[in-house]
Amino acid sequence: MAARGHVQDPNDRRLRPIYDYLDNGNNKMAIQQADKLLKKHKDLHCAKVLKAIGLQRTGKQDEAYALAQEVAALEPTDDNSLQALTILYREMHRPELVTKLYEAAVKKVPNSEEYHSHLFMAYARVGEYKKMQQAGMALYKIVPKNPYYFWSVMSLIMQSISAQDENLSKTMFLPLAERMVEKMVKEDKIEAEAEVELYYMILERLEKYKEALDVVRGKLGEKLTSELQSRENKCMAMYKKLCRWPECNALSRRLLLKNSDDWQFYITYFDSVFQLIDESWTPPPEEEHSLEGEVHYSIEQAVKFIEERITEESKSSRPLRGPYLAKLELIRRLRYRGCNDEYKLGDPEELMFQYFRKFGDKPCCFTDLKVFVDLLPSSQYTKFISQLLAVIPLSAAAEGELALPSDIKALQQHLCVVQLSRLLGIYHAMEKKQKLAAVRELMLRYRHGLEFGKSCLKTELQFSDYYCLLAVHLLLDLWLEGEETAVWQCLTLLEEGLSHSPSNAQFKLLLIRIYCRLGAFEPVAELYSSLDAKHIQHDTIGYLLTRYAEALGHYAAASQSCNFALRFFHSNQKDTSEYIIQAYKYGAFEKIPEFIAFRNRLNSSLHFAQVRTERMLLDLLLEANISTSLEESIKSMSLSPEEDDIPWNDLRDNRDLTVLFNWDPKDRDISEEHKKLSLEEETMWLRIRSLTLRLVSGLPTLSHTIQPKNSEKTAENGVSSKIDTIRSLLQQLEVAVDSGKKFLEQKIQYPVLGPPPTRMAGFFSNGSCQCQTSLFYLVSDIYELDTNGLEDSAEIQERIGNSFNSLVERLTDLFNKCKGDLIEVRDGTLKTHPSLLENLVFFVETISIALWVSSYCDSVLRPFKSNMQKKKKKKKESSLAMPPVFTHFLDYVAELQTLTSNVIDHIRGLEIILSALKLEELSLKDTLLLEEEKKFTKTVQGKVQSSYHHSVQEIGELLKKRLDTIKKLKI
Amino acid sequence: YGIPFYLQYLVHWPEYFTVAEAPGGELMGYNAAVLMLSVFTVMGKAEGSVAREEWHGHVTALSVAPEFQRLGLAAKLVELLEEISEKKGGFFVDLFVRVSNQVAVNMYKQLGYSVYRTVLEYYSASSGEPDEDAYDMRKALSRDAEKKLIIPVPHPVRPEDIE
Repeated sequence: MAARGHVQDPNDRRLRPIYDYLDNGNNKMAIQQADKLLKKHKDLHCAKVLKAIGLQRTGKQDEAYALAQEVAALEPTDDNSLQALTILYREMHRPELVTKLYEAAVKKVPNSEEYHSHLFMAYARVGEYKKMQQAGMALYKIVPKNPYYFWSVMSLIMQSISAQDENLSKTMFLPLAERMVEKMVKEDKIEAEAEVELYYMILERLEKYKEALDVVRGKLGEKLTSELQSRENKCMAMYKKLCRWPECNALSRRLLLKNSDDWQFYITYFDSVFQLIDESWTPPPEEEHSLEGEVHYSIEQAVKFIEERITEESKSSRPLRGPYLAKLELIRRLRYRGCNDEYKLGDPEELMFQYFRKFGDKPCCFTDLKVFVDLLPSSQYTKFISQLLAVIPLSAAAEGELALPSDIKALQQHLCVVQLSRLLGIYHAMEKKQKLAAVRELMLRYRHGLEFGKSCLKTELQFSDYYCLLAVHLLLDLWLEGEETAVWQCLTLLEEGLSHSPSNAQFKLLLIRIYCRLGAFEPVAELYSSLDAKHIQHDTIGYLLTRYAEALGHYAAASQSCNFALRFFHSNQKDTSEYIIQAYKYGAFEKIPEFIAFRNRLNSSLHFAQVRTERMLLDLLLEANISTSLEESIKSMSLSPEEDDIPWNDLRDNRDLTVLFNWDPKDRDISEEHKKLSLEEETMWLRIRSLTLRLVSGLPTLSHTIQPKNSEKTAENGVSSKIDTIRSLLQQLEVAVDSGKKFLEQKIQYPVLGPPPTRMAGFFSNGSCQCQTSLFYLVSDIYELDTNGLEDSAEIQERIGNSFNSLVERLTDLFNKCKGDLIEVRDGTLKTHPSLLENLVFFVETISIALWVSSYCDSVLRPFKSNMQKKKKKKKESSLAMPPVFTHFLDYVAELQTLTSNVIDHIRGLEIILSALKLEELSLKDTLLLEEEKKFTKTVQGKVQSSYHHSVQEIGELLKKRLDTIKKLKI
Repeated sequence: YGIPFYLQYLVHWPEYFTVAEAPGGELMGYNAAVLMLSVFTVMGKAEGSVAREEWHGHVTALSVAPEFQRLGLAAKLVELLEEISEKKGGFFVDLFVRVSNQVAVNMYKQLGYSVYRTVLEYYSASSGEPDEDAYDMRKALSRDAEKKLIIPVPHPVRPEDIE
């Protein structure tokens, strides 16, 4: 608990035991103790608050809130109560109440520095920038300390950042902030580095780059000392903004002289040289070239400068990559401008070869050279590769055997060449037979390379891991070309690799992707958890799990993976607010907009919106009308059909779609276009899912017992607006479905390791989309029947009857799309059919919606029926015929029951087939597999089999529960 | 480390945050939001009292992605941290490392660090159980010319005894 002042206060002594109980998590005792104390000291408000904290922590939120408001209404000014209330409100996630609390406190104690500062922080927590500005100034008036003044200035900047109107921000908030700082500058009151940083930030945002430059270069700039090269970096940024190329050039040149390995300055150096050439810049006569000294403004000078860096490098104790890469970069730029050979920089092929000789044993050599391979003509690829291979010291044990590296350096060099070969498309161009031979060779090299890593710790990677990964990539190519066995070999080799290098995330990620593609989620959960994904990674790579878990019927795992992500997103909100406040306290002003941008980025994450939506759909699927009623479930999620909390226009795709290594040539690699399309697809699918969720959440709002005759009354109490909402959502759903279908017409094929496609295609093709929309139309019809009554509604009743019939047909069709073996053995190899599994999951979801709609229908028909029965009894007539809708409904429910039972039987059949599948009998004839490998193959096939078994079990269980709910529908 | 941990460091010691990027475009584009996935990072802080000659820099987290190891990057990043700590007038730079992490211990030794003391059961497993001892390694800065603050302590200490 927070520190408490004034030890002398007798109240402190009295309260102490309660604090202790709370600190120790003994909330019940804390409440009791507070009650005891309150009996004696009625006015000890803080005891009430502490009791409220105890109540809050024991789940009695309403009582806690009431008690807290009782105290708050008294506008307390004692530290204990204020701090306790602050803690309580924070735990209630009601930070806005803290501001009210301190607003009242500063009114009563207007000169309290402490309360004003608490008020400022309370505003900061909720982002009330305008009020922060005022609170900061009020503080400064009470105690003229610089930080307070600058809190106020920073609040102005925050107002400008958050202002929707950019004009307002540029003409009002920022100029005001600037004037406030200028005032302090004039009065010579600037004290801290943070204040100068803030000044710079304002000028930069105002695009007053000249002024910003003057500040950094002037006396105030001398305060910028904490960060290394802080002044230089800021000057450089301003020179760039001002297009002051002479200064850019001179400064980057100077910084490169100091450190010739800093890549960013090479880029600026080249940019500026070519800008100056294009402007035909010449140095002013008899003056300094620029503010920053000597300027290079010709290609000759640039060439000479880079050559000098290389000469210098040869004298350095540590080999530096920068100068050599800079030379290649210069060639690239010269070529781009249409001039290359005349400057005698050398042949890029030769230079890259030399680079390889110098740095080939470093693991980064590949990524360095990757940047420049487009300098090579494609006709030279093979020659280039052989040239590199020729200089690697490899030796064969005997004639005709594979020449192998004898140390790590040689291995590293060889690996670099293999990676380059893949990048240059050499492997892609091979025939099947050659590819298989290459796989063999890579695996041999992989296993041989393990001997260098015998002393590696478990947390370290094996030196030869990439060989294995590259072999798997080759096999993946073969698989996509139709070679069914190749995918099992992929899994086999990856599992083997993982057994030697248990921390290799790439092995795990690729295993995850492949298992998912085969429809086996069970092994994935374990692999993912061993990746030990943390925090932000739930956002960046969580999609690997959430795309498949539910889709493959692993409901429990799906819940869990959504929970991981949601926990992270929710805590982000709280954590970042805390540190935004800290940033004010410690004057780290430039971090505040960054933290806020970070928080916003996470809050508008696509993945966040997806897991939110899917989690709720899943909960309904698993629970609604099974363990709790649909109505209660929806209420507990605070769902309402009107509310849409997804920031559609600001959705941010934080997925890391390149988390898996790959060495594919550009034309096969994941492109920006793929990423864009994938985001588009994900957003469409999310829209469909979110609308489905909202439509379902609208069902209970319709189904309260309405007396058919007073329909005017229902219009008053808002139910008719509810149906309007549903109808409008249904229309939106149709639009979303249409655009989804249009999108899919493009038939986009993402690269195999690229973004996984959504479930949308399956949703359309298996017919569940049509079923689900028809179901929501049915809701609209039933509502109409409800308001019109049974008489004079023959047409509606007939329509409903037809809907029932066509729904049964469609659901039966959907079931037919689920039929077939999930795993089949063909020619001695296994083939899985994940789409059947996905269809089955869609069936369960669709039948669940059908049953929720049926129970709405039931709730409408039941009162009609009891009314009729009453009438019958009164009139003692048997002539009152049953309206057709009753029979239709009963038939429909019976059909649903039969269908569901059939599916359950089908699933039982699948279970039996899956258990009977004898993998040991698979011959694994493929001569490519070694005995050792066969062992791994059996393991992976076993995993896949077991996963499918698990899937059908979970799906079957759920469907059985759904079947039970049908029995309640017999009106 | 969790997000709060990083935010806390960004607030208090932003200057000690360094991220390096490779020329290859595939590594660019990571910003603060995905900091943990970036190529190599070093974080540090300055703490301790000046009067008691304890003011020092601390290497909090240093990581280099596997593909960029063996390039002397860690050394470069530690040098940067030492430079900042020099400028701040620190007496020494220190760090904690698992005693089993021989690779790291040797690297720091090469960079001029020596074991100052052993901290018993400094690391704990995720279960909360004590897991492993740490070496507290130090390197004197120019302000401690006699290097008296890095003279090894003969007896190991408990985590609760280090300030």
